[in-house]
Amino acid sequence: MTALPDIAEITGPTPGQQLRKRMFGHQGFMIGAIFLALLVLVAILAPVLAPHDPYAQSLGDRMVRPVFMGGTWEHPLGTDHLGRDYLSRLIYGAQISLLIGAIAALISGLIGTTLGIAAGYFGGRVDAVVTFLINVRLAMPVVLVALAVVAILGGSLNVVIGVLGLLLWDRFAVVMRASTLQIRNREFVAAARAIGCSTPRILLSEILPNILNNLIVVVTLEMAHAILLEAALSFLGLGVQPPTPSWGLMVSEGKNMMLFEPWLVLIPGAVLFLLVLAINLMGDGLRDVTAPENRN
Amino acid sequence: MLRFILKRLGLALLVALTVSFISFSLLFLAGDPAIAIAGESANAKDIQAIRELYGFDRPMLVQYADWLWNALRFDFGQSYYFKLPVADLIAERLSVTMTLGVCGILFALLTAVPLGVIAAIRPNSLIDRIALFLSVAGQAMPSFWFGLILIVVFAIQLGWLPASGASSWQHFIMPTVVLGYYAMPAIMRLTRAGMLEVLSADYIRTARAKGAPEGRVLFKHALRNAIIPVVSLAAVQMGFMLGGSIVVESIFALHGAGYLAWESIGRNDLPTVQALILVFALFYIVFTFLADVLNAWLDPRMRSA
Amino acid sequence: MGRMMLRGGTAAIALLAAGAAHADKAADTLRVAFTKELESVDSYFNSAREGVVLQRAIWDGLLYADPQTGEYKGNLATEWNWVDDTTLELKLREGVKFHDGSDFTADDVVYTVNFVADEANGAVTQRNVNWMDHAEKLDDYTVRIITKEPFPAALEYLSGPVSMYPSDYYEEAGPSGMGLKPVGTGPYKAVSVEPGKHFVLERNEDYFDGPKGQPTIGKVDIRTIPDVNTQMAEIFSGQLDLIWQVPSDQAERLAEMGQFTVANESTMRVGYLSMDAAGRSNPDNPFTKLEVRQAVNYAIDRQTIVKELLKGKSTTIDTACFPSQFGCVQDVTEYPYDPEKARELLAEAGYPDGFTTEFYAYRDREYAEAISSYLNAVGITTDFKMLQYSALRDLNMKGEVPISFQTWGSFSINDASAMVSQFFKHGELDDARDDEVLAELDIADSSIDPETRTEHYGIALQRIADQAYWAPLFSYNTNYVFTKEVAYTPTPDEVLRFHTATWN
Repeated sequence: MTALPDIAEITGPTPGQQLRKRMFGHQGFMIGAIFLALLVLVAILAPVLAPHDPYAQSLGDRMVRPVFMGGTWEHPLGTDHLGRDYLSRLIYGAQISLLIGAIAALISGLIGTTLGIAAGYFGGRVDAVVTFLINVRLAMPVVLVALAVVAILGGSLNVVIGVLGLLLWDRFAVVMRASTLQIRNREFVAAARAIGCSTPRILLSEILPNILNNLIVVVTLEMAHAILLEAALSFLGLGVQPPTPSWGLMVSEGKNMMLFEPWLVLIPGAVLFLLVLAINLMGDGLRDVTAPENRN
Repeated sequence: MLRFILKRLGLALLVALTVSFISFSLLFLAGDPAIAIAGESANAKDIQAIRELYGFDRPMLVQYADWLWNALRFDFGQSYYFKLPVADLIAERLSVTMTLGVCGILFALLTAVPLGVIAAIRPNSLIDRIALFLSVAGQAMPSFWFGLILIVVFAIQLGWLPASGASSWQHFIMPTVVLGYYAMPAIMRLTRAGMLEVLSADYIRTARAKGAPEGRVLFKHALRNAIIPVVSLAAVQMGFMLGGSIVVESIFALHGAGYLAWESIGRNDLPTVQALILVFALFYIVFTFLADVLNAWLDPRMRSA
Repeated sequence: MGRMMLRGGTAAIALLAAGAAHADKAADTLRVAFTKELESVDSYFNSAREGVVLQRAIWDGLLYADPQTGEYKGNLATEWNWVDDTTLELKLREGVKFHDGSDFTADDVVYTVNFVADEANGAVTQRNVNWMDHAEKLDDYTVRIITKEPFPAALEYLSGPVSMYPSDYYEEAGPSGMGLKPVGTGPYKAVSVEPGKHFVLERNEDYFDGPKGQPTIGKVDIRTIPDVNTQMAEIFSGQLDLIWQVPSDQAERLAEMGQFTVANESTMRVGYLSMDAAGRSNPDNPFTKLEVRQAVNYAIDRQTIVKELLKGKSTTIDTACFPSQFGCVQDVTEYPYDPEKARELLAEAGYPDGFTTEFYAYRDREYAEAISSYLNAVGITTDFKMLQYSALRDLNMKGEVPISFQTWGSFSINDASAMVSQFFKHGELDDARDDEVLAELDIADSSIDPETRTEHYGIALQRIADQAYWAPLFSYNTNYVFTKEVAYTPTPDEVLRFHTATWN
């Protein structure tokens, strides 16, 4: 009996399959994605993984060194200035960074995408207003404005997330506007318009799906951006408040003893660096695989 | 061209006005500045007196109009903290920030452009990959962390460079690197992309076919064209950079405008914060304006935009 | 790795020290760092420690209090006596010259006092000057200072924050001119002022032979370096000779290195928790209950905090004042660390499962965090809020703060009135609003009989402790770190005195 040829052999891989293949073949994307997935897992499993309560202080055991610097396995990464387990704080800190990155990117994504698509699709006055708003937003010095607002409202997780979300929508708007401009006059949009689809429907089911790739790339980049900014704000003392274990705050607290116990700064800084690097690698990879023609 | 410039200028002014209004309203919400001025020992009566003296009891729009009218004449009021004119204070500190910004952008250009060119000459080579990785890694490096590491290594361990201050050119080396590296990746990518595009263009192929030496082709023909968008990007980055110098200045104790901004926020010195937000915004606006004009001048197609 | 780093650092310092002879002892210049940007050098127009340091170097007071014994000596005045309850007559020292060459006379005293005592002129720290009504000249070298009410602590203020300015110059230059180009009679004259950044002082060769003694070091160069790490890096690399207010952990490590002298001295600053006993934030808030306030007192292990965090000469504090202050009676109710008892008291008050409260602080995040962690351990969950001083003060005055970690330095005034009377006389910062305490303090503050004062401060302090209105915690200390070339003995009042520093 002759085996019937697989349907895939006849039709060739679907675009989705092609995409998946390119993704798995892309080194940078895979490294970034795997590391990010690991960190997300660590953040979710924090209560199981953390060897100690991240908030339990023990003033008698302050700044115990990590195990590779002569410490013991009781505190594998040592303890902080209040004798709290560094590894546990690092693990719970992943929750904070990821949460801030994700929600800030979500808020700014909603604002920026709405403005960008509106500007790109409707053009004219709408475009002029949105472009003006983007210009105003770009002209505002982000760090300075964020610091001032946090100083006014008092630092807390919600305030930091809100401020970052409201400040980082510019790239979404710019990219979404450009992407929408590119496709708004394509045949399928015109066709939808011709058969009398409503504007919201065109925007949601014709435009949005076709610029989704670009959107996802911007989401990753802005997530990284938000995480870095939160760390910088916390480092300057105007971000997430103690005893919340934020990595930026940990660097800031360790900074005081930097000359004597540099690991206090090196460890949280390195983890922060790796997280942002992973997200950026993933974002870059996504850009490569979704739009290979744009790579250069 | 003149019409284009005027149009852009009008837009720039409108942006500046909007930024100033937004920041003024933000700071207006900051609560009672009278308490910050009155200090630790004041009682309710002192504070009420200050409130009336400074006119904090007036409606916000009146206060804003007042502020704007004075700002147009470069009078940003008195610093609550130093009791000196804000304009003088900022003018004095600006030179450090400007020096830092110029050094930073030069550093970024001088490292990123050659890297981008090399990467473009040999696409997908090892050096291209390294350059690409560096650009991704560079963007992931928290600048406050990078600065601290540089201090530990170069100021403490090796003892080569001073850790803080601005009294000699050596003091600017580490801050320059920390401020400049963040702009590198974008510049490098753009140089690389521009070079790749230009190198595949017809006139380059013609030049090569005519037997022009490779170096000449690269630098005279290719780079000159590829660099145009890079220059305007650099101008925009410069505007961003000055706003970002707040972190760098606080780490290296450079008494520039960024550091002044951070301290003023901590001290509730609202006139200073308000003026600094506007100054940093103006930097960005001026540099993007220059970039626009430059672009339009080099590429007439842009003028209709 | 830390050790390695340290050794590497030390080696680098050794190398640098060999080559760095461009300043310091050879140039007779003491290079010092300030942490805070000073708003104005005019001592009546700043409220910073750094300002007090410059004030003591550039100017002189009429009197001088020995920093070790507290004994009053004549400085710009040589004799003084109370004519009546509100009139102090002083004989001035003759032959003293200001840095600009003008003579110091009664006119200068009268002008300075009348200027700063006038509220309209806006001296920043009003309570330093607002007890004076005016001054009168009797002859060129005799003046009278008239106080508004009987003011027993007058001598303390005259030897501390109140210093004498040259009348002609001050009238012309005003506070801002004085801030940019200070002129005084003190052991050092300011030769260069870059506001907030850089100050250069030079020895006053014509300084009179007063109780401060003659300065020995020729020049003092002060730079503002806000970051302690940077300060340490600079002292490592031989760019600074003296740093102060070094946090305890770093001071401990610097002492271990053996390269520097680390001197520790206590200060008058007291850290405490203030609780809203009067129910201003909410009439039903838990802190209105005596048991809850007592529980807070029992919950905090002050001894461990002092031993592990503050270190040095800090001690635990049981009263609403600093022990060395006149009238700061010590035999009051004490609350030792007892978390079990704290939990019991909370249960008695109706909070068997504890409660959640906002917890405010404005400085020393590390201490505040440690304290809130102790509260969490007995069931008081804290919503931690770190605010700028002025923002917290704003909330405080509006009565919206249930519990906060506060500190008070009493402006180094060695009298209980500078602390307990500041907070318990129903002012807008009074969280207790206890009439009994108020009555006692009123008597103690206005009497000039020392025994009456002690007795009534004692009753007030006992009542405050019994009612647990505060949880007094600990006193602060300051670390001074300097190179082996420098000799300096710090004083308990947290004032750096350049004129007592010498070269080894």
